[in-house]
Amino acid sequence: MEILQYALRKLLGGLPLIVGVTLVSFALMVYFGPDMTYLLLGKNPTPEQILEVRQQLGYDQPFLQRYLGFLREIVTLDFGVASTGEPVTALLAKTIPVSLILILPGFILGHVVGLLMALAAAYWRGRWLDKLIMAVAVTGMSISFLIVIIGFQIVLSSSDGLDLFPVRGWNSTSLGSYLTYVTVPTLATMFVALGYETRFYRSIIVEEMSRDHVRTARAFGLPESRIFFRNILKNCLIPIITRIMFSIPQVAIGGALLIESYFGIPGVGKATYEAIITGDQPVLKAVVSLTAILFVLVVVLTDILYRAVDPRVTIE
Amino acid sequence: MALAALVAACGPVEQPSGARPATKVFRYAMDQAPTTLDPVQGANIYANFVIVNAYDTLYSYKYLARPYELKPNLAADFPTIAPDGLVYTFRLKKGVRFIDDPAFPAGRGREVVAEDLIYSIKRQFDPRNQPQGAWLWQGRIAGLEEWKAAGSDYDQPVSGLRALDSHTLEIRLLRPYPQLVATLAQGFAAVVPREAVDKYGKGLGVRPVGSGPFKLVSYDTARVVMERNPNFRQEPVDLAYEGYDPATQAFSGVEAIQGRSPPFVDRLEFNFINEPSASWTSFTKGDEIQYTVLPIEQVERVLASKRPVTLRPEYADKYHIYAGLEAGFIFTAFNMDFPDFGYNPDPERERRNKALRCAIIKGYDWQGRNESWYNGLGQVFPGVIVPASPEFDPDLSLASVSRDVAGARQLLRDNGWTPRNLPKLVYGTTAGTTERLNFEQFRAWMGDIGFPREKVVQKTYANFGDISRAWKRNQLPLVAKGWGLDYPDAENTLQLFYGPNGSPGSNDANWENPEFDRLYDEAAVMQPSDERTRLYRRMNQLVIDDCVAITGLSRTRIYLWHKDVIAVPDREILGGFWLKYADVVPAKPAGLTSRAAKGT
Repeated sequence: MEILQYALRKLLGGLPLIVGVTLVSFALMVYFGPDMTYLLLGKNPTPEQILEVRQQLGYDQPFLQRYLGFLREIVTLDFGVASTGEPVTALLAKTIPVSLILILPGFILGHVVGLLMALAAAYWRGRWLDKLIMAVAVTGMSISFLIVIIGFQIVLSSSDGLDLFPVRGWNSTSLGSYLTYVTVPTLATMFVALGYETRFYRSIIVEEMSRDHVRTARAFGLPESRIFFRNILKNCLIPIITRIMFSIPQVAIGGALLIESYFGIPGVGKATYEAIITGDQPVLKAVVSLTAILFVLVVVLTDILYRAVDPRVTIE
Repeated sequence: MALAALVAACGPVEQPSGARPATKVFRYAMDQAPTTLDPVQGANIYANFVIVNAYDTLYSYKYLARPYELKPNLAADFPTIAPDGLVYTFRLKKGVRFIDDPAFPAGRGREVVAEDLIYSIKRQFDPRNQPQGAWLWQGRIAGLEEWKAAGSDYDQPVSGLRALDSHTLEIRLLRPYPQLVATLAQGFAAVVPREAVDKYGKGLGVRPVGSGPFKLVSYDTARVVMERNPNFRQEPVDLAYEGYDPATQAFSGVEAIQGRSPPFVDRLEFNFINEPSASWTSFTKGDEIQYTVLPIEQVERVLASKRPVTLRPEYADKYHIYAGLEAGFIFTAFNMDFPDFGYNPDPERERRNKALRCAIIKGYDWQGRNESWYNGLGQVFPGVIVPASPEFDPDLSLASVSRDVAGARQLLRDNGWTPRNLPKLVYGTTAGTTERLNFEQFRAWMGDIGFPREKVVQKTYANFGDISRAWKRNQLPLVAKGWGLDYPDAENTLQLFYGPNGSPGSNDANWENPEFDRLYDEAAVMQPSDERTRLYRRMNQLVIDDCVAITGLSRTRIYLWHKDVIAVPDREILGGFWLKYADVVPAKPAGLTSRAAKGT
């Protein structure tokens, strides 16, 4: 009950954040965002036709009126119709699940494997294994994601490479076909994510290992495994949770633009990119507002998780 | 477990792409996705490719004839035209049906009638549709403007559009319009049933309901999948009528479609790939996309020679190749509303401004641009009548596209231009590396003729919509753009310099030349003839003489397609119409050579 009250309080506290984020992003869209007017006009338009299109798009309305309309859309979750003619909610309902199942394996594996590698590197700090892991991590971080994608496509999918997987496409009608299409994107995502995750996790583990209570535990002769899991890893959970949780909105809404674009996957990242290019404001508004809402939810959930892993954290 | 559940929940998002199909599948690739499939907004080539396969147009173009030739499509024949050129009478083919769809009673598609065409043209004049094709008939067809002004009520008639009977349409014009038939071969003129618009509204943009050779299966940001329309009319191909030239087209194996009724493939996929590397890897894999435009970065690796364009043996064994000149061009217009180099209240300054523009044109290196960006495969030509136009003059002097740095410097000196008093040149582009390099190249050329570096500046815009806004609002002094022909008629590029078409119209130069405008008005009502060609060429010369634009170059696109595909691709005037003629040779047992594979 206490937690529920806390969650509700935090959610209410998040409302100003949502209003702030949506206001700033809406102002940016209105004043600096793409203008669809001139994409929708035919050749040799008259000033009257330009005015007609601006009216159709609502560009002639006062800012406040447009912003209030935007807030109404957020509350009703009805963001209107995309430039294709498809309702935005239908578009998101179609694309977000695709992005989720595309990104999740790489996201989970990236964090889990990154954590394991960081543990090994930290445990054998300064030894050859640590240096090897860090070398791999720095390599992953240094190479452009674009190059990684193209490299994996050529090595694993192309006729010049191993030719094991499709270059492009998407099919999630069965687990087998899903695995066929998701493997290369996952490996590419993992390769890049591993570098960042491993370095981050290693640094917090190393810091924790050098704390007094760990030294004391060792002095008491406690087993290394127990020290590692109870005194080190558990104390690292706060930054680990923070990192994972705050990646979620990006995974859920942002999708993976490059991955989706290069692998021909109809996820929300590609839809967002197309919306940016074409100035499709209904889609952009939906993505921006949903991301803001998800961030607020993540903040609340993260605070609750903090409490679960560290009793010293109060929810007051 | 959770992931597996989510996978199952996602259901049939897409159909398999890479597996060897049991049915005939043609996997086509385009470098962008269409923004909508509703003909009322089908303004770009990507939308048009899909639209003309989902819908019927009254006319289309002959599959193989070059130069392009119109032919009846949904129309039974060419229209009868009244002697005054103001009344066109079209007869529609009988028995053509829309696809079965829940929009129709009992879900069964009804016959296409003349009223459907009237309804479809009316849609272009209904502001609620945000139409993009009204310019084709605006001020041409009688009564449309009045109909729009009265509130775009579809139940009200338009005086210039009349169904004489269920299969006969009469169009009355305000003045002769020789391009009318060509406008009815555009995606904008695709025939849409009113029932579908009533049922789906804006949703028609993702759910086409037409009478074309294919019907939609799925549409997302990565792909459009269509399947053969089983009820499409039976019209056996007559290659001779379609303009087949054995000398240049036999390699494609296209003779195999003689006497058969299209469409020939069961499934047609449009894959949207805007990354050249992904497109190339997918194309060369063998079982994914079967067609691609050759990425510029692969040219040296793939081509054995550029003139003529031939493939290296290892590629020639697997792919067909065809190099086609675009039906359009790239050019840079001087916006004459900028007094620094355009019109000026001071006649002396205006005279010097003309010399300045001519010097800039002399300093521009078209051959250099062709080599840098188009592998030297483009065609540089003078003026604005492009090589793909029937009225193109191959004997026109190349002086206006030949670089002459010394001549440019001399011209500037003779007219009192010095590095100090030269005006600033603002070169507008969209943001991007290619655009930046283009600008730097331009700046270097202008530096060669004496422009100080700081006087040639780039102004970037986030996307095409934003730079279009700057053009239409008359905000950019130099307008660098490309133009694709809407129909094979030089009128389509000459109108870019017609005075009344000034901003926000397509005359971005805001050039007003009374003689040009008079000739344009005179030619605009003439049917194709030697006399009209003479007028067109005279107008072209006026553009050149007044140094109003740096022009031009038509790019060459190189198409590659797998040898199991029987086709002669095109993405210019013919557009998506050729896809219904594409066929795929079924895989044969090992040891046998496919017929198509015998081509070059």
